[in-house]
Amino acid sequence: MTAGFIPFDAVNTKSSRKFEREAEYAPEDFHEKVFELEAEGEWIVQRVPEPYVEVMTKYGRKKKIPLELTWHHKSCGQCGHIPGYSTSIFWLNRKLNFKYIDPTDQTSCTAWNYYASATSNAPAQASVAMRNFAAAYETGYFPIIHCGTSYGHYKEVREELMHHAEIRHQTRDVMRKLGKPMVMPEEIVHYSEWVHAVRDRIAADQKRDFSKLAVTVHPACHYYKLVQEDAIYDPDIYGGQRTATVSSLIAALGAQVRDYSTWYDCCGFGFRHILVQRDFTRSFATRRKIQVMKEEADPDVVITHDTGCVTTLDKSQFVGQAHGLNVGVPVMSDAQFAALAMGAHPYRVCQLHWHSTEYRPLLEKMDIDHEKAWAEFQDDLKDLKSGKKEYLTWEDIDA
Amino acid sequence: MASDTILIIGGGPAGLEAARLVGDLGHKAILVEKRDHLGGTPIAENYAALTHGFRDAEEAVDELIRGVTHNPNTDVHLSSEVVAAEGSAGSFKVTIAKAGNGASQVVEAGAVIVATGFQHFDPGRETQMYGYYEYDDVITLADAEAMLKHHRFVKPSNGQPPERVCFIQCVGSRDRQIGNEYCSKVCCGIASKQAIEVRQQVPNAKVFIFYIDMRMYGYWENEIYWPAQEKYHVQYVKGIITEIIRKGDRLLVRGEDTTMGRPMEVPMDVVVLAVGMEPSRGTKDVARVFGLKQNKYKFVDVPQESLDPTATSAPGIFVAGAAAGPKDLDDTMAMAGAAAAKAVALVRTRVTA
Repeated sequence: MTAGFIPFDAVNTKSSRKFEREAEYAPEDFHEKVFELEAEGEWIVQRVPEPYVEVMTKYGRKKKIPLELTWHHKSCGQCGHIPGYSTSIFWLNRKLNFKYIDPTDQTSCTAWNYYASATSNAPAQASVAMRNFAAAYETGYFPIIHCGTSYGHYKEVREELMHHAEIRHQTRDVMRKLGKPMVMPEEIVHYSEWVHAVRDRIAADQKRDFSKLAVTVHPACHYYKLVQEDAIYDPDIYGGQRTATVSSLIAALGAQVRDYSTWYDCCGFGFRHILVQRDFTRSFATRRKIQVMKEEADPDVVITHDTGCVTTLDKSQFVGQAHGLNVGVPVMSDAQFAALAMGAHPYRVCQLHWHSTEYRPLLEKMDIDHEKAWAEFQDDLKDLKSGKKEYLTWEDIDA
Repeated sequence: MASDTILIIGGGPAGLEAARLVGDLGHKAILVEKRDHLGGTPIAENYAALTHGFRDAEEAVDELIRGVTHNPNTDVHLSSEVVAAEGSAGSFKVTIAKAGNGASQVVEAGAVIVATGFQHFDPGRETQMYGYYEYDDVITLADAEAMLKHHRFVKPSNGQPPERVCFIQCVGSRDRQIGNEYCSKVCCGIASKQAIEVRQQVPNAKVFIFYIDMRMYGYWENEIYWPAQEKYHVQYVKGIITEIIRKGDRLLVRGEDTTMGRPMEVPMDVVVLAVGMEPSRGTKDVARVFGLKQNKYKFVDVPQESLDPTATSAPGIFVAGAAAGPKDLDDTMAMAGAAAAKAVALVRTRVTA
């Protein structure tokens, strides 16, 4: 499989106009403030470890994305509902020979309940973030955030801590009680930014042909609508008008990105709707997203990059099916898609059996024998049931 | 040594009017213009008709240009920029660089009038919701002016006359999210004027204006707003537009009808974004060269704006037109006259002192 960029229409703008980014309109560069506060002794800045890749953010600034020595801040929803998501991220790291830590002392970011106005206050929220950052710092590894909600929220926390000394000092008091240092990472990095940064390496190791696949992309609101100046953009992806993450990976893997009109809309999860207005969420996900994609783009799969988006888009479709709507598009993360491209097992690694929308026709289009794969996975389960094995290991997965 | 020459930077309506007046008052006016032609934004961006009054823009601006080029006291430097300045009120030494060949010269001036104007807000910079860089049928007021000027108002994507056209107000203005909290003053009037022109040129087109509030200053109410509705049947809809997307061959405008309190989705052939004003590159550069204080939006700051609307933070340097913030043409011309008079008064005092 040759790596490289296959030309395709969707990510090219349909306008004859060309957007030119002007750095002078960028909001303040948080890096300067973060380092200024370090110079004043307010906190330690954890540097992005080398080797890193520099990518471009919305206003043309550079963002450093670490390749390895990463401390993986996992996602409650991924681990609880779609575990193949985080497993795929780890699997990719292992296949690309990058060192990482899967920590056991990370807490939930508590942001989801924060968005539903159900928890906490500003210093408490900040303390949760800073405790996790400190935990990463103590290992010498750099935090990388799996969850879009955590990622967006931590960036908002960084804004609060930078600009409000009172919150900063209250947080510092909490950290003192915990015996932890005040640490702010040089960058707050989402795993999908790492996927973007290593997409050519993934493509170079591609084992399956994806050129027959039509893909729609759902960019995650938590990723690019919060502290938007820090999200990745690329002039070659939709003329620099939409975030480049995810679409860039699909392009690198040679699949066809197809556009649809409601790309900008939320998946339906909302920041709080899935908790407080779940019926609205289900209707939105099916009628405004999946049905529109199906009618306008007829994709084989929709790829996204956040916990809430994968679960909402995937697990709402049964409602549409019950009502006879034109739905039925499998949903997975960029990490799972990339792992499948590199030859990952659909059940042992990507754990697609946790996904509710029918995905087997997609696997067939990827030339994956899902019956054989399922039988292998059933054998694994027999070993677990019989007590022969307590859990599956990476060696089992790569067997 | 004190100089009785006045340097005017910017060859748009404000600069032209100021230069003409300085000349008429018997002083030498040096006019520096970055472009290779005079006329400023109305000419560079192909304005069709003036707001207000509906006079042909090219004809009106040509008259201003002739007022300068036929004036024996004016000296015009095209394709030129002010790159350095020293001195103080009564005696400035200013370096003017010519584009292309890199040649520069130093001129002396007793006073300076900054008339470097504005540029339109770039609707792709802060948000993708307008789709300006995705769909050719999403255009700006300036794009619409150019089509109206040539009496060819069409769907850019296929060259056909549109059946449904809408204007979206306050794009880049009155928007706290992007930091432009100010009203750009003229967009409501210009959009309404263009809506009338679209109805005149494409009589079968239905025309809508989506607005937060219509701000029709002074006589614009009777001259533009009521005729647009009563004579030309332009439909004004109070609402917030959230996004523009493609639906088949058309655009779909989505938002909230705030009067009815409900969401709306309206198909359109052409969407015109009423983009607001921001300081031009020249305004920001010239402010830097002269060390002029700028306000938070980077327009030239006018410390005593109510009573002294042309005085900047630097004695001897005056400002006219949209370099000092959003201005309509009426205010621009009035400021140009005031700046010319104040500049002349200053150099006369210094030279005779």
